[in-house]
Amino acid sequence: MDDFEKYIKENKLLFDEHEADQDKIWQGIESELEITKEKKSRGFIQLKSPFLKIAAGICILIGSFSILTFFTQSSMGTPEQNSAIHQELKDIDNYYKGLVSFQVALVKKHSKLSSRDKEEFLSFMDELDKEYIVLKKEMTANLNNEYILEAIVQNYKKRIELIENLLDQIKDSKKSVDNEGYIL
Amino acid sequence: MKANILYTHKDLVEKSKSGDRNSQYQLYKLYVDAMYNVSIRILNIKEDAEDIIQDSFVDAFKNLGSFRYESTFGSWLKRIVINKSINHLKSKKIPVIPLDQHEYHISEEIDESVDIRDIKKIKKGIAKLPNGYKQIIILYLIEGYDHKEISEILGITEATSKSQYHRAKKKLIQIINTF
Repeated sequence: MDDFEKYIKENKLLFDEHEADQDKIWQGIESELEITKEKKSRGFIQLKSPFLKIAAGICILIGSFSILTFFTQSSMGTPEQNSAIHQELKDIDNYYKGLVSFQVALVKKHSKLSSRDKEEFLSFMDELDKEYIVLKKEMTANLNNEYILEAIVQNYKKRIELIENLLDQIKDSKKSVDNEGYIL
Repeated sequence: MKANILYTHKDLVEKSKSGDRNSQYQLYKLYVDAMYNVSIRILNIKEDAEDIIQDSFVDAFKNLGSFRYESTFGSWLKRIVINKSINHLKSKKIPVIPLDQHEYHISEEIDESVDIRDIKKIKKGIAKLPNGYKQIIILYLIEGYDHKEISEILGITEATSKSQYHRAKKKLIQIINTF
């Protein structure tokens, strides 16, 4: 190390010439930490509005039904049957995607729902979509891998458990919700 | 002695791990200015540095559970700030090492005059360094990282870090000598 380097290293504190806007930055930090804390305490399915509870339940059931259909039928069929099943799955997916889109549109338009509830619902939808896409990809790529299959079954069991919890919450709700148009 | 240094602010760190907001705030107050200076030296833009500092503290508090006193809290936090700042430059396509990637094997001795003992001139010189040169000078001379650490931070080899540092230093001295 030469004198030049030594001089800089010895005086490096003199390079600290800026002062942070401490209050402004802390506000940002605190609000992000609060959001994280809120998300953690809220969990995945603790939605406040009964309407959102129903909608979320429908989404979980749709996703689970599609996955189970694909999983059970694909793993048993011949290549020809699998091809037909893939088409069937596609049709089922399209049908349920339509239902989900309809639900999303309803939520977006719903005048009595707060923007927070709407955001909550849409964020939930996003998470569900992502999970569903990953599972679909994994199943397509690794259908014969027993560990993947086992993981899918476990995932399915977890979904059932989530649905059961959700239904319990809905039962507890005192508000009436119009869900006549759906057969689960 | 070394162990004692590693446990600096242990009480605050431990309380912060359990989510105690007041302890987190005290830790923040202790380190924010130093970290802000680290980031703004690399980024040059106040708003960018503020965003990076905010993100860094949030990440640090969220991941404090993984902090095991293998370094001081300050070093651990500084590494987060440095990594985020460098990644920010990369995301903006700003070079973090000199664009010319040839590895010159420059000898340790530099012919240029190195008897420069004027912090103002050095600061001005560093500010005038081209992107890429500046980061490696800052990381080595001011932040005190060695070439192994710099290679990890910048994603280059240790040999490249050494050669690029020597080129950057030579450039810095040239600039300062023009003042």
